Parts: sequence; structure tokens; C-alpha cells
Amino acid sequence: MGKIRLTRRERIKYLSQDPKITEVINSLAARYKVPKSKEINKQIDTVVALARKFNEEVVKPAYKQIDLEVSKDNDYLCWDFIKKANEWGFYTLFIPKMFGGTGMNLVGMYPFVEEIASVCVGLANVIGVHYLGFATLCASWNIRVMNEICREVKQGEKTGNPCLISLAITEPGAGTDVEETMLIDKGKIETIARKVEGGYIVNGNKVFISNGHVSTWHMLICYADKTKPSENTLMLAVKNGMKGFSFGHHEKKMGQKACVASELIFEECFVPDKYVAADSHVLPENAAKSAKEVAQTMIDYVVSSTRAGVAAFAIGAARGAYETALDYARKKTVNGTLLINHQWAQSMLAEMYKNVNMGRAAYMESAYANAMHGLVKTLFLKPIYYWELYFPSWYFSMFSPVFNLKIMTWLFRWMNFEKYPQESAEIQSGWASLTKFGCTDIGIINSRMALELMGIDGCRHDIGAEKYYRDAKLLQIYEGTNQLNRMNLFKNLVGRNMPEVEVF
Amino acid sequence: MSTQTQAIVQGFKEELQAMSDLAKNFASKELFGKTEVNDHYPFGELFTDTINNAGDIGFYAVNLPAEYDGIGMGDSALASILEKISMADASMAGIIFTNAAAIEIINQASLNTNCEAVYKMLCAKEALPLAFSSFTGIGEMEMPVADKKGKISGRINFLVLGGISKYAVVPAADSTQGNKISYYLLDLNEKGIEKSEPVYSLGLHASPGVDIFLEDVPATLIGKAGEGEKYFHAMQSHLSVGAAAISLGILKGSFMEALQYTKDRFQGGRQIIDWSEVRMLLANMAIEALVGQSALASVCNDLENGTAGWEKTARAVAIHLSDMACRATVDGVQLLGGNGYMKDYGQEKRMRDAGQAHCLLGMVPVRKMDLIEMIIKESQ
Repeated sequence: MGKIRLTRRERIKYLSQDPKITEVINSLAARYKVPKSKEINKQIDTVVALARKFNEEVVKPAYKQIDLEVSKDNDYLCWDFIKKANEWGFYTLFIPKMFGGTGMNLVGMYPFVEEIASVCVGLANVIGVHYLGFATLCASWNIRVMNEICREVKQGEKTGNPCLISLAITEPGAGTDVEETMLIDKGKIETIARKVEGGYIVNGNKVFISNGHVSTWHMLICYADKTKPSENTLMLAVKNGMKGFSFGHHEKKMGQKACVASELIFEECFVPDKYVAADSHVLPENAAKSAKEVAQTMIDYVVSSTRAGVAAFAIGAARGAYETALDYARKKTVNGTLLINHQWAQSMLAEMYKNVNMGRAAYMESAYANAMHGLVKTLFLKPIYYWELYFPSWYFSMFSPVFNLKIMTWLFRWMNFEKYPQESAEIQSGWASLTKFGCTDIGIINSRMALELMGIDGCRHDIGAEKYYRDAKLLQIYEGTNQLNRMNLFKNLVGRNMPEVEVF
Repeated sequence: MSTQTQAIVQGFKEELQAMSDLAKNFASKELFGKTEVNDHYPFGELFTDTINNAGDIGFYAVNLPAEYDGIGMGDSALASILEKISMADASMAGIIFTNAAAIEIINQASLNTNCEAVYKMLCAKEALPLAFSSFTGIGEMEMPVADKKGKISGRINFLVLGGISKYAVVPAADSTQGNKISYYLLDLNEKGIEKSEPVYSLGLHASPGVDIFLEDVPATLIGKAGEGEKYFHAMQSHLSVGAAAISLGILKGSFMEALQYTKDRFQGGRQIIDWSEVRMLLANMAIEALVGQSALASVCNDLENGTAGWEKTARAVAIHLSDMACRATVDGVQLLGGNGYMKDYGQEKRMRDAGQAHCLLGMVPVRKMDLIEMIIKESQ
């Protein structure tokens, strides 16, 4: 090898410039930062194979009919599917063993949901949005409440009564506003929690809540002070049957019909103190982070892990559209020639294939960014990782009363709020937004291309292509609109070292 | 321009304006405020009264010759009606378009053949609207076969209005002409015809298609045997103007709803129209609407004046406008956020309708290949 004209000082200088290599090749960095990569890959293989089997046996036979049933009757709920997914253990598959789950690593969740979404985005969302609720619960770092609710999910698996978790955050007057503390204080927030003896009384409405009607627990984001919600954010765990809590209407959606979007109604709803998962005042007054920063950190923890999940749904839709178009092109004759033998069709299919694979590479980058910098970073710390990997579930069941100790919650909050580096927040949040809007745009592009390639046959419900188009559109909207995600990326990765930049 | 010509042109403009106003009033009275209910078909009722009222006004007779109880107006008048109707509900426009496409096949055939018998059948009560495969090019179609006696057997997928119309204009591979295509007028109540349930599709729900299965069904030849491909391509040129108008109407409707919503909705403490990124999305939609409007007006002008090459322009405008409508309606949903995705608002239907209207007159890539084929032939 020839002489490398680079001093040590120069190496440090050049590598400290943007873009930092370790931030843009997260999967490469993960090979030495995240323990036992081989085992992680093995688990990813397992969950992908499991998802494919589930698709063959459960999703493919049912998804079109479910979509039709909801089209006929908007109040239809796909309980058969929900129970099937429960039977297969999907609601605990990615919950850590320490909380009663199967403990598959969370990096594997993304290719898993891509698989299901490649057949039906709506049904993938039924499973995926439960993990949105789970991620919200985890972002509280309230170990006692996490342990209790997760073990109920496990119990639901054993009894055959699914116990799902939803996230209740969006309000009629506040969609984008609730995802950014910079916006929320100017927003029209209506879900207010009033402190009373023994708990809180909540009044307000939440809308567009995915899986609302089919969930047992609802992680409710509400506010103790309407005039300064960013500094007075509360996360309450609300259970079906709590006094004052009820369900409203089902939204009439264009697509992803299998996953209900619900209205949740809180009328003098009493939530006891033990189900206050978090509030933005969790840290002491002299802490490094203010209440507003803690609230933003909680939001970032949630959306940074789930936005990559939405990206995975989108690549699933993109892939499903491509596979449907490919299958069609192999059989259809146009002007006397098989469609797949028209060069322009081959070019379109190649473009779609490229889109899927580039999108997958992107969302896996975000998954690894999350593993090193985000919500699941704690699970990849070597002592915790090996503890999870090698100890059996019964051990954790015996051990779990320890999670009720206040010191456990204090410790995890100290690690994940107080000691959480700003640089990590920027990487995980920026990457999540990048893949969210990048991949969801791909979902629309590929599903449109499939329709163009297939003509009116692509528009028929019975052939299956048009459904990807309808389903893919919602992915550009929820988990923060693509416009908000562009701003978030700009804030975290583009404009971060530019003092002259103003965002929002 | 002479005074006489000026008077003719003025008269024509006034007639076009009258048709446009008629369509706008019809949309206002029959369609606005009812799109969600009407779009629920086939799981809800079909808006049969509205379909009949459109016939009473004359929307199915726009391109039918005056001597056969038609209005005898051309593609510009049709485009004008389709644009206004599509701004309210593109399904109704789909019905008018389908009927007009079927009639245009007959009109093209009548240029070199006596089609009086066929036209007279259309004068019967409830003969209109006609059913037609308005989304399928003949190169893509699963073609039924006509035997020596003119009886048709085979399958036709997605025959628009096949479930509700009395007659359909259908192509078949004519065994007397070496399997070249001929067009036929088919009585859909004849024995030997089996119809599927309405095919549930992406958009234009209330302009439904059915699959039909034919076994030795007698039909009336339209025009000359074996000339079907010629009639189809000529119809495709004429109705490209109509297809463009539908896309434009959908696009405009989407833009106008997005514009109003962004003024009414507040996020971050201000009207969302005050966020510059929102304005940029609206600007892109506005540009597409204005460019589309200009292109459609220009091609109507070329068509009415018989400008050489109007057929190519019409095809290009139809393809490009439908692309723009697909792109813009995706943003039209986006600008309304979560509300845009819900049936309570009009945007999700427009996105679906634009997606389906993109397929009018055949697969877009095939139409592009046909267009470049025309240009290459002319350049040689």
C-alpha cells in the first residue's frame, strides 16, 4: 500500500466536518457499536420469515375482503385478524423479555412490518400502531407502568383477548402542532388535565387515533396548562372502562381501512396518579433539561422510532405495488406482445425495483441510528443486551417486582433525559424524518407507476394494485406530515450549526 | 375577419358559454353536497335521478347529430360541460364522457357509411347513455369475436355503464375480415349476455363498469366491417379533449378546496396559508391549473379551426393534464392534512378520480407510443 498523505490531525479535522461519516453510515458504525451483530441478523431473518408465513396463511386470504367490508360498513372492525395476530404472538414479539415479551430486537421490527405491508398496509398498521403505543409508553421511562402494561399485553396473548396499546395525541384543532414544542404553545389545544386528589380529571377529544376502538390502553398526551402546554405536557395511561372515557365515531378513510381511526372522548375522565406515566416535570428543577426540552425529548423518542416504521410501511406498499405490476406484466398482452417484453415496461419495473431497494436501505439506516442514538439505545448497551439475550423469560417474571422500585424509573430517566446528548437527538430525529418523507414519497411514486403500467386493470379492487395507492397516501400525512418532517430534518441535520437559521 | 365570420364566431362563443353555464347550474343543483353519498355506490344507491336529469337536459346528445334529436355540437362544447361537471363530481362527467365516446365511434363510421339505422335506434326512449369501454384501448382489450352471422361471443372487461344502459358500442374481432376489428351496437338486454356485479374500482364509483360475458349475441354492425381500428383512433383524438377537460375539472376542484381550507385552518398560531411551504404547494397546483386551462383552450381552438396537427396536440394535452391532475390531487389531500384523507372532505375522492381518469382512452404508456408513432410517420 502506498503512503497515505494524511496526518492524524488532518484526519480528525476532515472527519469532524459535515456530513459526519458516523452519522450517515449508521449501519456500518453499528457493526462495532452494537453488540453481536450476527445474532441481530439472525433475529431479523426469523421475524421476516415469520411475517411471510403469516402473510401466506392469514393476510393474503383476508385483506381484500376486510377492505371491502369497511367500505360497505365503516364501523366494521377486523377482530378476527386482530385475534389471529394475537395468537401468533405479534403484540409481544418486540417487547423486551424483561417486560414479559418475546424480546426480538427492535431493529428487526422494520423489515417485519415491511413484509406485512407488502400485502396490506392497513393490517401492517394494526400491528405496527400497537408498537407506536408501546414506544410512547417507553418514552416515559416509567419502568413500573411499562412493566405493568406490557405484562397485560402478554396476558392478553395467553387468554386470547388481545390487549393493544394506542397513542392518543391528535386533536381536532391541533395536528402538526402537537408534534413540535415550538408550535404547541400557539396551537388550539383542548385536552386539558386538572390535578385533583389522587389523580387527574381530563376533558377533551382526541381524533384520528389509529386502533382506538380495538385497543385496551391508550397513551394519552394531554396538558395541565392550556396557556403553556409545552412545559406542562402529561402522558397518562388510560384504560378502557375508566370513568369518563368513551369512544366516538370511526373516521371514514380513503385507505388503510383495516386499521380504524377513532375519536376518543374524555368527559371528566378520572386517571389515578399511578397511571401518570410521565409529565414534563420529571426531572428536578436544577436538571440540565427544562420541562419543555423533556417534552420535546419524549416526542422525539417516540417519533424517531416510529417514523422509520412508517418508512418501512411505505416501502412495503412500494414493493407490493411493484410485485403486483410485475405479476400483471408477465401475463398481460398489449399490442400483441407480453407487457413485460415492452422495453418501456421493463424500464418502469426497474425503476420501481430501484425505489424499493433504495428505500429499504434508507429506513434500515434510520433503524440503526435509533439503535445507537434513540429510544432503543438502552437495549443495545452490552450488559442489558446480553442480559436480555441469555436469560429466560421466567427469570424476568421473577425479577419484575424490582421494576416497581422508584429507583429504576429514576435511573432510566437520568440516562435517557438528563444525560441524553443533543448530538444523539439530532441524528436519530433527523434520520427518522429523512426516511419518513423519503420513503413515503416512494410509496406514492411506485403505486402510481403500477397504476400507469396496468391501466384500468390497475384500478380494479379485485386485482389489488389500486389499494396500495390509497393506503400509501396516509403515510405522507401521519407521524407528522412530510412537510413537518422536512422542517425537522432541516432543523436537526442541515441548519444545526448555523446560528443564523430560524425554523418555524 | 369578415362581419359574417365574426358573427358566427361570436354566436359559437355564446353557445359554448351557455353550455358551460348549464353544466355549472346542473352541478350546483344536482351534485354539490351529495358527492359523498353518490360515491358510496355500489354499496349505496346509484344516483339514477341525476343520471336521468342529465339526459333530459341534453348532456347525452351533445355530439349526436341534430337530425337525430341531438344538439350537434362538437368537442369544445363537450369539454366545457365535462370540466364544469368534474369540478363537482367526476363520476357524472365519466357517464357523459362514456356516452360521447360511444356516439363518436358512430359519428366516425358515418363519415363513409350510412349509419341512419344505428342513429335511429339511439332516438328511442332511454337509449342514452350508451355503454362503452372508455378506459381500454383496443390494443389492450380482451377482444370478443364476431362470427359470420354477426353474432358476438367472448368477454368484455369493465364495460362502463354496462350494468345500467340499454345499448353498448363494443368492438369485436370480425371473422369475416381476417379478425380485423369491427364495431357493433349491442342490445344489453339480449339473451346470451351475462353481467357481473359492478366492478369496485379506485374512483368514479358512480360511473360503474361491469364485466360482460357474451355467447352468440346478435349485434348491429356500425359502419364498415374491419374499420374498427380507424374509428377507434379517430374517436380517441376527439375524446382526448373531453378526457383533458375531466382531468382539468378535478384539478381545479382540488385546488379550490385546498385554497379555502388553508385559509380557514390554523396551526402554529396562524392560518396555514401563511406558512410559505403551504403557499409553495398551492402555487404548484395553481400553475398546473392555469397551464392546463390554457392548453385545453388552445387545443379546442385548434380543433374548431381545423388546425393541422390538432389530433396530436389533443392527445398530448390529455396525457399531460391527467399527469398533472394526479400529481396535484395528491397535494390537494396533503394540504388538508388528516382531514384530506377523510371522506367528509372532497379531496380524497378527487385523488382517486384523477387516478382513474388517467386511464381514460387506454393505458398512458401505450397512448404515448401511439403519439410518437404519429409524429415519426409524419416526419418521414
